[in-house]
Amino acid sequence: MSVKIGEIPYKERIQNGIKDDFMRQAVSSAQGRFRNGRLTQAEALGNWEDWRQLGSEIRAHTMENLDFYLHQLSEQVARRGGNVFFAQTAEEANEYVKNIIKNKEAKKVVKAKSMVTEEIGLNNALEEAGAEVVESDLGEWILQLDEDPPSHIVTPALHKNKQQIRETFSKKKGYQGSDTPEELAAFAREQLRQDFLAADVGITGCNFAIAESGSITLVTNEGNAEMVTSLPDTVITVMGMERIVPTWEEMEVLVSLLTRAAVGQKLTSYITAITGAKGPEEVDGPEEFHLVVVDNGRSKILGTEFQSALHCIRCAACINACPVYRHIGGHAYNSIYPGPIGAVITPLLEGYDDHKELPYASTLCAACTEACPVKIPLHEHLVRHRQIIVEREKKAPMAEKLMMKGFEQWSSHPSLYNLSAKLAKPALGPWVKDEEIENGPGPLKEWTDVRNFSVPQGQSFRDWFKQRQKDGESNGNKES
Amino acid sequence: MVSQMAIKNREAFLDKLAATLGRERRIEGVERPEWSVTPQYEVFKDKTQDQLVEILAEHCRVIHTDFKRTDRKGLVSVLQETIDEFAGKSIIMSNDTRHEEYGINEFFKAAEDRLDVHVWNPALGKKNQEIAESADVGLVFSDVTLAESGTVTLFNHKDNGRSISLLPKTFIAIIPKSTLVARMTQAAAHIHNMQEQGEDVPSYVSFITGPSNSADIEMNLIVGVHGPVKATYIVVD
Amino acid sequence: MKVSLFSTCLSDILFADVAKNTLEILERLGCTVDYPMGQTCCGQPAYNSGYLKEAKQSMKQMMKAFQDSEYIVGPSGSCISMLKEYPHVFAGDPEWEQEAKTFASKCYEITEFLVDVLKVTDVGSTFKGKVTFHSSCHMKRLLGVKEQPKILLNNVEGVELVTLPNEEDCCGFGGTFAVKNAAISQEMVSEKSRHVSETEAEYLVGADMGCLMNIGGRMSREGKNVKIVHITEILNTH
Repeated sequence: MSVKIGEIPYKERIQNGIKDDFMRQAVSSAQGRFRNGRLTQAEALGNWEDWRQLGSEIRAHTMENLDFYLHQLSEQVARRGGNVFFAQTAEEANEYVKNIIKNKEAKKVVKAKSMVTEEIGLNNALEEAGAEVVESDLGEWILQLDEDPPSHIVTPALHKNKQQIRETFSKKKGYQGSDTPEELAAFAREQLRQDFLAADVGITGCNFAIAESGSITLVTNEGNAEMVTSLPDTVITVMGMERIVPTWEEMEVLVSLLTRAAVGQKLTSYITAITGAKGPEEVDGPEEFHLVVVDNGRSKILGTEFQSALHCIRCAACINACPVYRHIGGHAYNSIYPGPIGAVITPLLEGYDDHKELPYASTLCAACTEACPVKIPLHEHLVRHRQIIVEREKKAPMAEKLMMKGFEQWSSHPSLYNLSAKLAKPALGPWVKDEEIENGPGPLKEWTDVRNFSVPQGQSFRDWFKQRQKDGESNGNKES
Repeated sequence: MVSQMAIKNREAFLDKLAATLGRERRIEGVERPEWSVTPQYEVFKDKTQDQLVEILAEHCRVIHTDFKRTDRKGLVSVLQETIDEFAGKSIIMSNDTRHEEYGINEFFKAAEDRLDVHVWNPALGKKNQEIAESADVGLVFSDVTLAESGTVTLFNHKDNGRSISLLPKTFIAIIPKSTLVARMTQAAAHIHNMQEQGEDVPSYVSFITGPSNSADIEMNLIVGVHGPVKATYIVVD
Repeated sequence: MKVSLFSTCLSDILFADVAKNTLEILERLGCTVDYPMGQTCCGQPAYNSGYLKEAKQSMKQMMKAFQDSEYIVGPSGSCISMLKEYPHVFAGDPEWEQEAKTFASKCYEITEFLVDVLKVTDVGSTFKGKVTFHSSCHMKRLLGVKEQPKILLNNVEGVELVTLPNEEDCCGFGGTFAVKNAAISQEMVSEKSRHVSETEAEYLVGADMGCLMNIGGRMSREGKNVKIVHITEILNTH
């Protein structure tokens, strides 16, 4: 897998999303709950805007000094008995991990939920190396069994209902129980417990690496990341290079923002910081620890006007606030990173060729920007993408370009504008019935396919105003 | 074998980042700036220990955790009651001097015939994990307790394995009142100071907030997924 | 107080009553209002579509048209928020940067101007009916004008204001989004229409004609008879 998840064309993906009633219902109710949770937590703090400000300052400072903090991190990890590998590409990262698996002759690998390993397609590489890979986050496990990509970065199986899950469990794992979530989860617990205990290697992502001590912070509710890092003898953490903070003090602030913004919790059930390999005489934890720091296109974002997109802490608050996501679901974005943040970073990571529609899949309502706990101006980034698509990539449709050329002339020449103000209504005349158009011509068609177009009678305001002044009713206003 | 403690491909990687940032590599001399706002220090700033206990108690309801409060004298009976509620027969706990201090060793000794108690012993190696996996109850002492979020912080080490709080079916945390702080800020500052003073942070620090849970199936909250399915906190005055 | 009216191109050309009502409210409250004839469009259709070069031309025209104005007031949160973006758009442009800053500092959405500048919370109007208010995204999020229209509406005699469920949601207009992503837009506006119906209000009030013609057009297509009114109409009814 890569960032891109398939080959279905954009319009078809949108239709698939819109037609999926269960998914839309599930997304809508999840969004409502997540949003309420976030707002309740924000209100409880009372000074949420200060928290967001602090979060954004921390992220900005860290990105500005990313080389310094990654250097410090790697020194500390090594000092605490860990290995660090810097991978410029997905291939380099996968190759490194594959070699560990081969050298260890590992048969079973358990993974904790990690978006970056989805991004680089690590599971395929692990299987090529001959290991069985088990995703241990409940949602990820369901998707893995069903060979389905995630549709949300926090609750990846949001689009699946319990009947589908039961069917998957029964087909792939011989499950015979009911479709109550409790029973399904208990089955997963029992199955995965055996995998944890038998695993040779554990692989995790990373919420926040702490540069000062070389620690890796993992945030979960299920406790699976704890299993993955405590039981196998070898643990590998794969992190996107931007997932780092200077010290424990900043980690704490960002975790507080993350858990509130993501799921409306003050903290999740398990927040764990692991540092290097286990110490002398320690039983739990890895004998061998590897940290893989992945670039895979991120450095193309650094130093550009999109740099703040790297501030993202993967909380999905923007996804949960997005009305477009609500109606089309995650898969419509054709990226493992859906929603507003996905529409921003997917074209940055993989280019515009396959993802040029994404920046337009937004009304620019800015609900995302408002929700973001680290103040990434997401809707502004979408506009920036559109500028690049028009100006640099030259991928805008010809009709639109002509229209915009027309706009330029019209809006910068008051004489043309005046003329249009006079002519607009008469020109629309033939289509107007009862001050409305139901079947509009040309560019109005797409509009009137969905809704009526209102055309009240009467002259333009400027003509009325001129008349009013002429008639001397303007209470002494001077002619402009 | 992959060679131990290697840092690979770093220089080219970080040089490239410095170049994209349009400057020379930074290896030293970077200080955290003074942040324009620091709201984290404002939370429950003026609360007394007793008020923090109240806040903790209140939040335990949200995190599906039973809250109990007692004093040293009452501890063993509250502990007994909690173990009974969990139908606990087998218990695993850390090797911690506080067990002696709080009379817990004595209590377990007296209950030897009813309760099978294992004290974490590094000499037994992975056997400890097996015992933890089949234990009914994992018993720990909180090192730092976060009132705001209802969180027990554990500094794991050779005598206090991570498995104790993770593998057994249920989880009991004994919380000396003195370990209560307002929120994660204070715990993080403590660890940061440790690091600054050249002390190694523990290889594993757990912030545990109630039992494990998941909402991955149709957003239904299921309490008890991979970790313990039930949790009780006992605050000791 | 001297005020220059920015009608917005939409109200100028299609919905003249909105601009008339704005003008009359301002005059009634003692402002001397002029209407610079050089004004055209804020530039948002081009800017939001990624046509920066084209957008800048209309923005320059706007700055020229209003260069002598003290206050620039208009009946659209969205258009005003675009005007407020000019300093950002022209940042680093030696010729226009300062001009853009000065210009932006003079711009106000009408309800914002009434409440924050004129300090008027009751315009003395009467309007009988059950109304619900759609707060437009750009007005509340980009301009930060949230409470002002509600304060004014609540003080209109005869108005019964009911909260619109999921008020924070976008109506699905989004300028060219409505035609570029018509299928998604349809779902969004249909949802908004459902929420409006749930309130059983007779009137849907808003402060942005863009949103109102989207929601109103959809509700009309669905055969619902909720009346769509711009807030200035209510504030200018005696």
